[in-house]
Amino acid sequence: MVLRSHTICIVHRLLQVVLAGLILLSCQAALAEDVYTLKFATLLPTGTSWTKLLDDWVKEVEQKSDGRIKFKMYSGGVMGDEPDVLRKIRKGQLHGGLFTGYGIGRVYSPARVLEMPFLFKSVEESDHVRESIMPDLEIGFRENGFELLGWPEVGFIHLFSTQPITSLDDIRNRRIWLWQGDPLGEAFFKAADIDPIPLSIMDVYTQLAAKHGSIDTVYTSTFGAIALQWYSKLKYATHIPLTNAIGGVIVSNHFYNKLPADLQQLLKTTGEKLGHDIRLRAREENLKSIGLLEANGIEFMFDWDDVDMDEMLTIRDAAAAYLEQTDYIPADMFNKTKKILTEYRTLEKDAVTNKPGKSPVSSDSQTGVQ
Amino acid sequence: MHNDLKRETMHKFLATKLFTYTLIIISLSACSMNRMMVSASLPMIEGGIEAMNQEPDLQLAEDSMPANISMLNGMIYLDPENIQLHTYAAQAYYGLSYGFNEDKDIERASGFYQRGLKHGLTALALSGLSDVKTITPDDLEQQLQKLNKDSVAALFWTASNWAKWIDLHRDTAEALIQLPRPTAMMQRVLELDESFYYGGAHMYFGVYYGSRAPMLGGDFDKSRQHFDKAREITDNKLLVADLLQAQYLSRQMFDREDFHQRLTNIIAAPEDLYPELTLLNQIAKRKARLLLTREDQWF
Repeated sequence: MVLRSHTICIVHRLLQVVLAGLILLSCQAALAEDVYTLKFATLLPTGTSWTKLLDDWVKEVEQKSDGRIKFKMYSGGVMGDEPDVLRKIRKGQLHGGLFTGYGIGRVYSPARVLEMPFLFKSVEESDHVRESIMPDLEIGFRENGFELLGWPEVGFIHLFSTQPITSLDDIRNRRIWLWQGDPLGEAFFKAADIDPIPLSIMDVYTQLAAKHGSIDTVYTSTFGAIALQWYSKLKYATHIPLTNAIGGVIVSNHFYNKLPADLQQLLKTTGEKLGHDIRLRAREENLKSIGLLEANGIEFMFDWDDVDMDEMLTIRDAAAAYLEQTDYIPADMFNKTKKILTEYRTLEKDAVTNKPGKSPVSSDSQTGVQ
Repeated sequence: MHNDLKRETMHKFLATKLFTYTLIIISLSACSMNRMMVSASLPMIEGGIEAMNQEPDLQLAEDSMPANISMLNGMIYLDPENIQLHTYAAQAYYGLSYGFNEDKDIERASGFYQRGLKHGLTALALSGLSDVKTITPDDLEQQLQKLNKDSVAALFWTASNWAKWIDLHRDTAEALIQLPRPTAMMQRVLELDESFYYGGAHMYFGVYYGSRAPMLGGDFDKSRQHFDKAREITDNKLLVADLLQAQYLSRQMFDREDFHQRLTNIIAAPEDLYPELTLLNQIAKRKARLLLTREDQWF
């Protein structure tokens, strides 16, 4: 009897130990599952002001998630160009990245409606329209496998040339670069009756530097002209921007949907702030870059006063028609954007009428368009 | 009475004139003396640089640099238009920053690069190349064509300090916009004497093309070719070429194996691989160890 009781006791003890071990193991497994490593890539070079903002974002997320989200950051294009990064995300080797419109067009091309040529006259207009269509954009990205976290901005894109540009005809007579494989650029040049030279972005500087290079005119933001060193081979730039180039911070649904709700919310709120901060920084840098470029011998010319606005809008609408044909930017998206913009301009005009002395375009607008 | 006054005035006039001449002669002699003294000391400085390059002890080298730089500054004070001295100063500040400060105190390193740049620009101005910071990059390229082999050292050390300073401030457009200037100078060095300072200009372009994504102007093949050329020039004995290739090109290409291999090879290299440049190889070894600690973070 005593022996049986003792045996039962030992078995009971053993069971307790095994159970405790199992509980411990399952706890460890749960803990291991709770840490999510977000592998994130961007072309932005290490040490630049934008990557510093990215680094701050990483620290904030890691800290606020109590270490449950960890980052592996690949900056400076070490993971390849944007199409490469997207391929790696789709294979699950990476989870997210910061992209320009070039990459965004490969995820959800209708978002590039915000890059339609000659659409916005100021950053305020661009901000208003973007915020208005943001719910549509978020759905579009989600349906294409990505969660949109933030919306940074490359900024206004200007033409830079070795020769003066004072009219549309001048542009037509130049050997102008087209970013190979960019449907938006193709549509614009086709609509404007410009015969561009398609080249990979990698070959632009070499061709500009060559004595008999194939191109003499390129397009980029003012800060981009400095960062890419293209400015050193050019003499003139247009005041008129072709477009306001976009950017996006996105993560794959595959990664995002695994996160608990609180971590999803954390990525959304901090990502939105990151987009906002980079957008402001880009605007500051682009504005400052105009002065620096002028001091380094670049002459800005060809302002809105020098153009027939109707002709510009005809070009824009023709480009939109080409993009609609290929379903790159559907007509309903373009029409919705134009409607929001028209309403905003009417409201702004009314506000100006009611507040004498106020310009319809604020003083910090980068385009200076009236 | 009248004659006495006349004589006295004449004496005063002669005395004043004599005093002025004496002063001029003394001043001229002082200037010449200074120049002569400095000229006589130049071989000593050259010897000092060679001895420093052979120093195997990093701490000893670091400790002796401030005194050497102070001596150089003193000599520049005595002979402010000496191109050679300003060039040595540019080289010294570059060495002080790259070898002993860049990895632990960026602000201090930046200050030293700035001082090296200032001496380099002075040397170039004395060689006939002025307003380097203000003329357009195009004009600078044209002006550079007027310089010959005599200016290679000044060009190389000015560009080296300048590019490093830009690299430490690459978060500002103000710094980035300056990059075409040192690059044009290094291009001229390449044209005039590609083997200057152990193929240093090739290493510059190895980093220039290797540290950026192709979409942003990088060119991995060109980068590799420049590093290969630098190694060829030094018979593969200067470890910095491998260090820079790992740090910039291997990292940019996301080639962890190459990164690791090059750096571990540097650490394992014999101490007497290149006796004339022991110090630089010791610095490369120290930097290689530091870079290896970042391997997990970068790859």
